[in-house]
Amino acid sequence: MLGVQAQKPPPGQWTTPPFDPRFPNQNQTRNCYQNFLDYHRCVKTMNRRGKSTQPCEYYFRVFHSLCPISWVQRWNEQIKQGTFPGKI
Amino acid sequence: MTHQTHAYHMVNPSPWPLTGAFSALLLTSGLVMWFHYNSITLLTLGLLTNILTMYQWWRDVIREGTYQGHHTPIVQKGLRYGMILFIVSEVFFFAGFFWAFYHSSLVPTHDLGGCWPPTGISPLNPLEVPLLNTSVLLASGVSITWAHHSLMEGKRNHMNQALLITIMLGLYFTILQASEYFETSFSISDGIYGSTFFMATGFHGLHVIIGSTFLIVCLLRQLKFHFTSKHHFGFEAAAWYWHFVDVVWLFLYVSIYWWGS
Repeated sequence: MLGVQAQKPPPGQWTTPPFDPRFPNQNQTRNCYQNFLDYHRCVKTMNRRGKSTQPCEYYFRVFHSLCPISWVQRWNEQIKQGTFPGKI
Repeated sequence: MTHQTHAYHMVNPSPWPLTGAFSALLLTSGLVMWFHYNSITLLTLGLLTNILTMYQWWRDVIREGTYQGHHTPIVQKGLRYGMILFIVSEVFFFAGFFWAFYHSSLVPTHDLGGCWPPTGISPLNPLEVPLLNTSVLLASGVSITWAHHSLMEGKRNHMNQALLITIMLGLYFTILQASEYFETSFSISDGIYGSTFFMATGFHGLHVIIGSTFLIVCLLRQLKFHFTSKHHFGFEAAAWYWHFVDVVWLFLYVSIYWWGS
């Protein structure tokens, strides 16, 4: 995983996530969830290959923008405890 | 006494609708008391009065139909419509549980891991006991048809044997389902998978028990020579009900056991 500092976007550069045709509905729950998964999958793959996790930052920004903070906190807690239901 | 000049059944006053209504109220209140306060007093009372009502009411129906001859062809037609409407209402009852199942499983929410069966749930293998159950119920559908044709052709021994076989298959199914319930690693209260699974299969199991009871009553009446080769709607209604339960199982098997695993 990225360090906390590296995860923070540069100041003044918070942009709204672009339209994603996989999630055309007003309800963006699955968009949030998919980007949360993609971020963690990306970090895992990059780490395994010994590459920089910088390209994963895109997913991080999208899910940070879309997901309620409490959900992300709960999911992170679940990942820590090994009870997160998604496949990473 | 004036003679009636039509074939309709003019029913006499009976206490059973009233006791039935009271027992239904006791039953629902008893369930509330059981669910919320873990007290089974009212529920037991409700079940007892309900069973007593059913026993006595249907005993009266048998007396009116078989011994007093009130079940003329036009009355039998009414009974047929009644049974058909009842089974249609049962179809919608089960449609509700299938709706709940497909609503939850076709687009599984992310809390489940976005998959079905949900992450961490290990479902029953559909090719083991559930497949045996399927063949048991299909076989019972064949044997009840054998019983019906034997009845219509006046082959009493064949009828008795085939009906007994059908009942045995029904009981075998119930025993297998009960043993399956002990095997499951999930419960009705640990998530949507268990909830939809046990709600649907549990109510189906209840209906198999009701259908088996219906068939046992038919066997007892058959042994007492209540049925003729032309007049045996009680048996036909039991057969319709049994086929309905059979068809519900096929949908349960294909949807919940097979596709759902």
